[in-house]
Amino acid sequence: MAGYIGKRMLSIIPIIFVATLVTFALIHISPVDPAEAYLTAAHIYPTEELLKQKRHEFGLDQPLLTQYVQMVGRMATLDFGTSYLTNQPVWKEVAARLPATVELALWSMLFSAVVSIPLGIAAAVYRNSWIDMLSRCISYLGASMPQFWLGYLLIFFFSVKLDWLPVEGRGTWQNLVLPVITLSIVLIAVYTRLLRTSVLEQMQETYVQYARVRGLHERMIMLKHVLRMSMMPLISGMGINLGKLLTGTIIVEQVFSWPGFGRYFVDAIFNRDIPVIQCYVFFAACLFILCNLLVDLVQLYMDPRISSSKGRAEH
Amino acid sequence: MSYQRQRSAIPVLATLLVVLLLLAGCSNTGSTTASSSASDTAASAKSITMSWPRDIGTMNPHTYNPSQLFAQSMIYEPLVSYEKGGKLAPALAESWKISKDGKVYTFKLRQNVKFSDGSDFNAEVVKKNFDAVMKHKDTHSWLGIVGVINKTEVVDDHTFRLTLTEPYYPVLQDLSVVRPFRFLGEAGFPDNGDTAEGVKAPVGTGPWMLADYKQDEYAVFKRNPNYWGKAPAIDQVTVKIIPDAETRVAAFEKGELDLIYGEGVISLDAFQQLRENDKYTTQLSDPVGTRSLLLNSSNPKLSDVRVRMALHEGFNKQAMVQGITSGLEEPADSVLSKNYPYTNIDLKPIPYSVEQSKALLDEAGWKLPAGGTVREKDGQPLEFEMIFDKTDPIQKAMAETIQAEWGELGVKVNLTGLELTVQIKRLKANDFDLYFWYNYGAPYDPHSFINVVASPGFGISETLSAIPTKKQLDEQVRQALSSTDETKRQELYRSILTTLQEQSAIIPISYIKKTAVYQKKIAHFEFPASRDDNPFEGIQVTAP
Repeated sequence: MAGYIGKRMLSIIPIIFVATLVTFALIHISPVDPAEAYLTAAHIYPTEELLKQKRHEFGLDQPLLTQYVQMVGRMATLDFGTSYLTNQPVWKEVAARLPATVELALWSMLFSAVVSIPLGIAAAVYRNSWIDMLSRCISYLGASMPQFWLGYLLIFFFSVKLDWLPVEGRGTWQNLVLPVITLSIVLIAVYTRLLRTSVLEQMQETYVQYARVRGLHERMIMLKHVLRMSMMPLISGMGINLGKLLTGTIIVEQVFSWPGFGRYFVDAIFNRDIPVIQCYVFFAACLFILCNLLVDLVQLYMDPRISSSKGRAEH
Repeated sequence: MSYQRQRSAIPVLATLLVVLLLLAGCSNTGSTTASSSASDTAASAKSITMSWPRDIGTMNPHTYNPSQLFAQSMIYEPLVSYEKGGKLAPALAESWKISKDGKVYTFKLRQNVKFSDGSDFNAEVVKKNFDAVMKHKDTHSWLGIVGVINKTEVVDDHTFRLTLTEPYYPVLQDLSVVRPFRFLGEAGFPDNGDTAEGVKAPVGTGPWMLADYKQDEYAVFKRNPNYWGKAPAIDQVTVKIIPDAETRVAAFEKGELDLIYGEGVISLDAFQQLRENDKYTTQLSDPVGTRSLLLNSSNPKLSDVRVRMALHEGFNKQAMVQGITSGLEEPADSVLSKNYPYTNIDLKPIPYSVEQSKALLDEAGWKLPAGGTVREKDGQPLEFEMIFDKTDPIQKAMAETIQAEWGELGVKVNLTGLELTVQIKRLKANDFDLYFWYNYGAPYDPHSFINVVASPGFGISETLSAIPTKKQLDEQVRQALSSTDETKRQELYRSILTTLQEQSAIIPISYIKKTAVYQKKIAHFEFPASRDDNPFEGIQVTAP
């Protein structure tokens, strides 16, 4: 098992390397010169002299390899440079906005788990009943409706028409309700179906038949055995979605004026604030790597057979 | 397999989730209190709440993005203020004298003016602000006055003198703009005096001061108790940062906002819908800028004035503007609207005439081949590329309309949607046939407009490069900017604008307007004279 963990850790290195290459390439494949982007963002007319001066300042007149090595060195100390727009260190700005995004992401994870676990199980146990139909409807809804549209609909009904909840902003629990529901619907749609399929699969397994033969009560089999085994795919799904949520709440943050990391990133794109975009891409890559690693380790903990290469391939 | 292991994994995950949630919760405590305090204070009778798409920024009077102009203008004041119709009125300067040669400006500063922290406003602090700006001359080179300032002097406590290297008539107009020549109090300066690195606190002489602020969430402005002028009728303005236009409308309909104000801050559809609702009041401003189409005369096909005129006459501007902007923009007859200084002149409008247009193209040698749909001359098709900002729905719709209308004339237009930054880059590189362009508005125009007509690098001079009288035009611009004779200047403006109208290398399409939508609680609302200024001075509210 230790060998597997070691290998898994080592495999992160090439992925991080690719992530740094991608962020580096961003500057060089973009049609806009970073020096020009900086001056435009600062509303300064880009004369040739100023452009030259800025290129020198950003180290863009150095050989590519030197630039790359310098960038990696800085990133290692969380130095992502200074935002073109605000003149503040990018990491400081990102760190200031992360709590809002983390808050939204975690509540959405929690809410989707609380709704989808019982719903998924009920849909499997009472197959083809009204509850199964309901879970199917939610899944269709979640899978087919764009998040921004759902966000607007919720605002229209619950805030404007019924006047129950605030339209936008952050601060109280009421502010959380609509964005969390908007983000969760997609997750609930996926988790419910995942759990339903998984429970149905487990119920066909021989250990369940064996337990029945042993005379165990149906409810006991469900709670003690089937459920635990069925949680495996759900946990991996949740792990991957955590990464997605932490980096991908952009649209929801925009719709609900949630002052998070995603909205900051949207502004950066519009203003060609390259250091911020670079930081985001790198940070997102690291988050996904971490979330995947976390999922793998949890699964390994739950099923040590994974560490053997055969088990891994079967998985 | 050990079930024991599986059992313990779930509590571990659950604990992790709870810890993370607590962390998120803790980091949010500050904003909870701040946010509720903002909404509590906003409830006062004489206060209003409005929204803005972006955070107000660092409130540095001498730098640009991310500080928002309207908010800067609430805190910081100019020496001279820009009033309706381009009139210049005393602000922090009570009066001024201009030397005969137009090179020395002596300002008598208003007495008994105090900054919001109670410190004195005097000639020393004026010089300190000017010097801080001029230390970064390159940054501000877009503003004409920056290129001609030679010396700043304190004559006495309340007299400040500005000496120029050469005469430049729009000095006072340039001093009235929101940035960079506005005044920060001594306490706001950083220790090394270099405001480009940031300010310690937003200390200004304006009617408002920043009372509470949370980045990306809200800003609360309260009346400055030390304000020298007439106090505003309202005592508090809360600005909520709402980046999404539809959310802004929803917040307004729910009553969370009293006012939505600005350019393009809500969609035209939403504005129409709110306009039709009796519960709200809506207003449209005078023109704040002109939406124009540049025809690059350095392209050999567009170098012929008959072709340019044919294109100008060959589309129904009235119907297009009405149809696409639902009447929220006004069809434009000239490049600059009449509400700027020197532009209130009668230029001959270019009428819509398909027949005349076809005749002009025929005359220029561009004939429709038998059975063909695109005109040709010497084997060349009459074909152009029109570039537009792909994120701008109005530009896209207009580009498509013009493409269809010119198609009927036998002119082929290929549309290329670009990102704004790439679009601007191509304008500056003179790499375009047809381009959507906007002038700057008050208080920058008309002098900034004629400046780009003559100065290379902004794309306009290049657009006009092949018109026969370009040299003469450039000379007229130079004279107009440096002339000290008002009558002569008016004549020069008339001549410049007439030439541009006759040459049709810049086709005016429509006048852009600001919109304001407000609740009945607001009894009086007036648009500011300057495009970038804040609208709060004139606002009056009725008791709830």
